[in-house]
Amino acid sequence: MRARPIVDRVLSLWGLLVIAFLFTPIAVIVVYSFNRGRLLASWEGFGFDAYVAALSNDDILSAVSVSVRAAAGAALIAVVLGTLCGYALARHPGGRIGRLVTVLLALVLVTPEIVSGVALLPWFVSLGVDHDLTLFNSGWVRLVVAHSLFATAVVTFLVRARMQGMDSSLEEAAADLYTPPLRRFRLVTLPLLLPSVLAGALMAFTLSLDNTIISAFVQVSGSTPWPVYVFSAVRAGLRPELAAMSAVMLLLTLAALAAVALVLRRAGGSKEAVDALSGVR
Amino acid sequence: MSSDRRGPRAAWRAVPSGLLATPALAWIALFFVAPVGLVFWYSLGRKPGLYQTHANDVLTLDRYREALGDTFLTSFAGTLRIGLAGTALCLAIGLPFAYWLAVKVRPHRRFVVLALVLVPFWTNFLIRTIGWQVVLSPEGFASRAMQSLGLIDTPFSMLFTRGAVLLGVVYNYLPMMILPLYVALDRVDGSLREASKDLGANRWRTALQVTLPLARPGIAAGLLLVFIPLMGDYVTAAVLGGARGNMVGQLVASQFQQAQNWALGSAMAVVLIVVIALTILATAAVGAACTWLLTHRRRRELAGIAEGSPA
Repeated sequence: MRARPIVDRVLSLWGLLVIAFLFTPIAVIVVYSFNRGRLLASWEGFGFDAYVAALSNDDILSAVSVSVRAAAGAALIAVVLGTLCGYALARHPGGRIGRLVTVLLALVLVTPEIVSGVALLPWFVSLGVDHDLTLFNSGWVRLVVAHSLFATAVVTFLVRARMQGMDSSLEEAAADLYTPPLRRFRLVTLPLLLPSVLAGALMAFTLSLDNTIISAFVQVSGSTPWPVYVFSAVRAGLRPELAAMSAVMLLLTLAALAAVALVLRRAGGSKEAVDALSGVR
Repeated sequence: MSSDRRGPRAAWRAVPSGLLATPALAWIALFFVAPVGLVFWYSLGRKPGLYQTHANDVLTLDRYREALGDTFLTSFAGTLRIGLAGTALCLAIGLPFAYWLAVKVRPHRRFVVLALVLVPFWTNFLIRTIGWQVVLSPEGFASRAMQSLGLIDTPFSMLFTRGAVLLGVVYNYLPMMILPLYVALDRVDGSLREASKDLGANRWRTALQVTLPLARPGIAAGLLLVFIPLMGDYVTAAVLGGARGNMVGQLVASQFQQAQNWALGSAMAVVLIVVIALTILATAAVGAACTWLLTHRRRRELAGIAEGSPA
């Protein structure tokens, strides 16, 4: 028993070190966004020049706007498809369609991004150019479709997990009271699913904002998303504007996260909020 | 089906639930199954001319022979090394952390710590990698601080080395390891650990023989969630490794983006999938063997105890 405090102290120290490790580059980016120099890595003094430059740089603004619009589209598709699918999987787990969908969604989750990227590029080209479905020549459509796949899988599994944790008596009660199926889904099932749907939507949105590799393949020149723009800047030379824009986006993401956490907390307490947001259930 | 027993009300409850999964199924079939299938198909073809990307008029395995050439194999070996080392390091760093978070941190503080782990997870991974580039670059503050402290004389050049790439991938995929480990360890009932203690096991034995075996699904999930994306990642390596960070993903990408040779690029992608699958199977086999050895020995031990104590 004497060994206890030492081991515990080492574990706590380890925990704090890991958290510091996780925050190091984020802190660096935030600090260097106030760099007045021309190059990101060489510090020339404190100032807001980079923020002014970033917010008046059309390329940066357009890249961010492409990303945000793509993320909104992908999240919308993922939420609709994923909620329906997760609900179906939880209520009819044994069905043949259900089993097939589960396997395919799991495959989507474990396929490396590079493979999805190289698969989608020829597919969009052949749909758009060879088969005259000009819809698929739009950069926005391509990004939305490409980002929606992984996100659909995430939302499906989040919704399924939440559905499995609830018994179906509420829905049955509504059915016994002759509530038609659609109304029942809207009035009873959907409110119960709300935490996982919201968490899934937020996750889909940020995953899409974050996506670099698939986006680099499917993007159409003229609608370059933000991460691809940043990646090309890595080769061309990094400027403090990138850090400034990233700091702004970090702030916005945290605000969205806090808003969703607040809704979830009101709906079911802090533990549930964290669990839902971390994809735990 | 089960709703039939309710007679007239059955009509109200007969939601064809299986049908609700079909939109997702159609979506996945159209934009995942078909394109990935096409990659397999292209990999059997060839690049017919300078301006064409692929042709499947003759089916051949030549692209695989080409893909398994020296440059690719060297790059592959490097990628696999980084992948295995990175995954192992994530486990080594993440397991004590997740154990601390699930067992040692007081429940009301767990919320805060978990939120802290999640914040990096929600920020752009490319930007975070660039943050490391700033830290490691010769003009960066790490190098300057060490120089002004007199620890080193020349600017510090960790950037563009294998070590930098390893640091980057461990950093980027660590949260993917911590979360499933935390979930698994959190589910292990505390009373089982107490029972183990009451039965005379010390803390190490409790950790190794009770807690860890129960957390096995989380360990497996964490290993998969880190290893698979890591093997396909070339962005981290490009930012932190420069020319030395040549990962397989980069080779595949350049076949599609620069060389316009879809046939060869597809064959490389298929080889990548196969190697990842084989590595996972091999790891699973080793894991199963270890588990079997442990339980087998324990069972014999227990049997010995049972025989040795007739009273």
